[in-house]
Amino acid sequence: MDRRTFLQTLGLLTGSSALSACTPGEERRRLVSALVPPEDGVIPGQSVWHFTTCTECPAGCGMQVRLRDGTPVKSEGVPGHPISGGGLCARGQASLWRLYHPGRLRRPMVREGGTLRETTWDDAFTRIASGLGEARKAGRASVYLSGRTHGALADLLDESAAALGFERAPQFEPFSHAAIRRANGLLFGVPEVPHLDLARPDVLLSVGADLLETFVSPVGFAAQVMAGEGRSWWHAEPHYSLTGANADRRLVLRPGSEPWLLAWLLTRLSPTARRPLPPSVLATVPRPTLAAAAEGTGIGADVLEALAAALASAKDPLVVAGGLGTAGEGALATAGLAGALQWILGATGRTVDFARAEGFGAVGSLLDVRRLGERLARGQVGVLFVARANPVRHAPRDWELARKLSGATLRVGMGDLLDETLREMDLVLPLSHALEAWEELAPRRGLRQLVRPAISPLGDTRAEGDVLLELRRRAGEPVARSYQERLMVSWRARYDDAALRALSAAGYVEEPVSAPPPALDAAAAASLLGAVRLPEVARGPVLVLAPSIRGFDGRSRPLQLMEEIPDPLTTVTYGPWISVAPADAKRLQITDGDELAVSAGGWSAELPARLQPGLAEGVFMVQRDVVASFPGDVDPATGEGTCVLRGPKLARTGRTGRMPWLSGSPSQHGRGLIPDPIHRKKPTEVVSLYAPHAHPEHRWTMAIDVSRCIGCGACAAACYVENNVPATGADEHLRGREMSWLRLEPFYDTAGGVDFLPMLCQQCHYAPCEPVCPVYAAYHNPEGLNVQVYNRCIGTRYCSNNCPYKVRRFNWWDHRVEAPLDRLRNPDLSIRGRGVMEKCTFCVQRITAAKDHAKDEGRPVRDGEVVPACAQSCPTTAIAFGDLNDASSRVASLVKVAGSWRVLEELGTEPSVHYHRGGSSGRKGEP
Amino acid sequence: VTPGGSSTSGRIGGLALAGWFALWLVALGALAAWRQSTPLAPAQPIAFPHTIHAGRLAIPCTFCHVNASRSPSATVPALSVCMTCHETIALDRPEVQKLRGYVARKEPVQWERVHQVPSFVRFTHKRHIKAGVDCAACHGGVAQMARVQRVRPLTMGWCIGCHRTRGAPTDCAACHV
Repeated sequence: MDRRTFLQTLGLLTGSSALSACTPGEERRRLVSALVPPEDGVIPGQSVWHFTTCTECPAGCGMQVRLRDGTPVKSEGVPGHPISGGGLCARGQASLWRLYHPGRLRRPMVREGGTLRETTWDDAFTRIASGLGEARKAGRASVYLSGRTHGALADLLDESAAALGFERAPQFEPFSHAAIRRANGLLFGVPEVPHLDLARPDVLLSVGADLLETFVSPVGFAAQVMAGEGRSWWHAEPHYSLTGANADRRLVLRPGSEPWLLAWLLTRLSPTARRPLPPSVLATVPRPTLAAAAEGTGIGADVLEALAAALASAKDPLVVAGGLGTAGEGALATAGLAGALQWILGATGRTVDFARAEGFGAVGSLLDVRRLGERLARGQVGVLFVARANPVRHAPRDWELARKLSGATLRVGMGDLLDETLREMDLVLPLSHALEAWEELAPRRGLRQLVRPAISPLGDTRAEGDVLLELRRRAGEPVARSYQERLMVSWRARYDDAALRALSAAGYVEEPVSAPPPALDAAAAASLLGAVRLPEVARGPVLVLAPSIRGFDGRSRPLQLMEEIPDPLTTVTYGPWISVAPADAKRLQITDGDELAVSAGGWSAELPARLQPGLAEGVFMVQRDVVASFPGDVDPATGEGTCVLRGPKLARTGRTGRMPWLSGSPSQHGRGLIPDPIHRKKPTEVVSLYAPHAHPEHRWTMAIDVSRCIGCGACAAACYVENNVPATGADEHLRGREMSWLRLEPFYDTAGGVDFLPMLCQQCHYAPCEPVCPVYAAYHNPEGLNVQVYNRCIGTRYCSNNCPYKVRRFNWWDHRVEAPLDRLRNPDLSIRGRGVMEKCTFCVQRITAAKDHAKDEGRPVRDGEVVPACAQSCPTTAIAFGDLNDASSRVASLVKVAGSWRVLEELGTEPSVHYHRGGSSGRKGEP
Repeated sequence: VTPGGSSTSGRIGGLALAGWFALWLVALGALAAWRQSTPLAPAQPIAFPHTIHAGRLAIPCTFCHVNASRSPSATVPALSVCMTCHETIALDRPEVQKLRGYVARKEPVQWERVHQVPSFVRFTHKRHIKAGVDCAACHGGVAQMARVQRVRPLTMGWCIGCHRTRGAPTDCAACHV
């Protein structure tokens, strides 16, 4: 290059970069005088917390929403909530992403000429009313299919069905627990999912039930199972789930061999039963020998014997079967045997509580969907309503439900995002989000929960209750003016002022429940257990459709936050993948990212492979939420879909798939990031040329209990929302440019056991990032934080290069957010622009807020007053935070726990994040 | 390239280069001038006289800017607050009629901002008021201003100066998060 070209290029470059560096004008140019002051208690610039219920999954966890100037900006758990205990999972965090989802339905839509176009509510109601009339004249039944519905809306639906002349189809829920309900109906005459108290059992065996991912109430179960000290928790499953990874012992079953395990346990434990089965029942149960059970299940005889001995000698033993254990063939046998085991172990009526049954009683199964499909195909259905349910996605593809839907004269769908079912509808009615409408829920008997609006509807949406009331009003019936009014009237009738205030303050009310203790129906039990056939356990590869902690059954998958948060076991972020056992990978000669052509049961896909340590050979795993239509069969006895598919075909395509994964390595390579053995001596003498920092007032410190961390990612999701961390998308993730400030590193051992290491900025005392910053943007503050001053940062990235923990994130771009998702912004901290390094600072905005509050009250900050977003959301309270200068604080005692360590302590960085193992030792999930 | 051509093109190149940098100098100068000219005392949709309210009537600042002592933002009052008096008082004044027009149209008044710190600064009125800082320390003698204008620079150096003399925190994280 000659001098001229060089200078020209230089001039152009400086010019253009200077131009592009010009920041857009400040947007807060105007101050607005409202017409009237905000209502009482709302102060502009101050946060208000609103207690409501999370509706992202059927569990019904308590949720508090932080409102800032009338805009929900953060959701958190409700401490002491009867369902969730205090945490909130990643999906609950993402419920705000649903509220502000740019693709949310905003206006009613009607199908015209094959496409959906926007229309008015008035037009929609007219069409429905005339559709109902025509159906009546034609003698066709109108059917209302809803997702799981309980509480006030269920009552209104029943009433409206009678008033408007439609019938309610059994509710549709993909994870319907149909086998459990059917077995309990036969054994005890209560076809319900009992409430499980997992805090009490000292020996717990879960068979297939993914307690930590999707099973009934994952946040509450996580809090309960991880809290107990000295508990022994065994988990049996064919594949490798997060639940299995966190159990004390993970038993790898041959796929489909659950009845072998449970029948043997029933035989083995019956002689010492606390509540024996009647001899007539016991005589019918197959009695495998120990050797046969060991052969059938593939679990060693000594392990089986140890498990039985533990259950026999336990004070409060419990066996739970569910999830994949009761999906497909043999589901009823497994659920029935588990119910019988609960009975003989004395758990039924104690830790298995039918009086406080989970509200699944009115939920149907896939068989009901098939029946509906047949009626549709025969032209017996007039108006078909489908609300909050996606049966097209979850019904087996060969049922051709989407095609059969056209058998209805008018198809009316209600939902928030366009899904496979809504795309087939003639009329699509947009429903308000749970944060835009009033609702009363009863997810469990004896518990009523409030859902209340935090923001006025962002689009022209309505609550389902309002839709029903309006239809009845147009039919000439005198009804409440709005669903809200109807709810208020019912609450006034039911509660006095004090109870109403309590309901409003906490967001829930517990009511006494009484039910006669369940009694075993000997005749029905004998016929159920007598029908148990110990299956011929087939050998050979299987494909497991695993329920996903991120996408649930697929409903949370459209929320981008759930793609940004990595899958706990594989750390894959965007896109589907197939988990492959290391032994199979060797056989197929593939490694991480290599694409496999998979086909099973009429379903095929090309998926990148991800090696899953600990996965049994011949077992392949695909997350249920990425399978766009259900490839399995349906068990005719229970209606459960088969999620373990036999004989999948797998072949290398020779291509490399697009699959970003965040973990550097599944192994620690002996570096002792999580020291093993835990008492390993470390060089602790720190030699530094710099004088130690003084921390006169506070020294903020975090203590993380690795034995309690289940890797669920709730902390990471909470961090995203609290700290305005941008979602960067798949392309950036593939370049290694993810922005998450907090990550969970799964470290596997050679036996397949795993430990999760939450890794966030360690706020080092001698921080390698600080001295290399040329502009003093990274510095140590007097409270022990490594503050990053964003407006001072010039983006040299020296700090990141010098950080041994890889916790600093660089903004390669300005991350534009599509409206209305841009409203989801914490105003307490700035949005970092392009060219700026960012990282965790222990939620310094929360520290400031707590200090501000304490100063108002003229007192020092109390221990536990500062709760970073990650610690707040953690279902198992694995993260403690506080002031090390306060000798009486919780962290001050936790950093002294025996075996407490700091990561890469030998570098002399003196991190402020301490890790410990609480009471337990040894890795979790060991087989 | 011939030797002769080289000298001519060299001259032209030199000129172009000088022109290029001159252009930048001019642009920078224009930017500086524009920054100077951003109004320190912008015209408001209603010419609200602080001289009467805060001056002659001596109404305390926090009577209208009610959130200054309890929130990060001092906020401007809602129009219903204005109307508590102007339902009956000074109805003949043109500016009051303007106000009543906004209320009748149910239209919020959008005032031009006079004082503003950049978005990367976390400023809270509450702490400053509670620490006994007089409003005038940052806003000047508003009671004597017919049209509110900015009299303090509101730059970091100016903030820090006061923080130093009063012993307030000077840790970066106190204002920059």
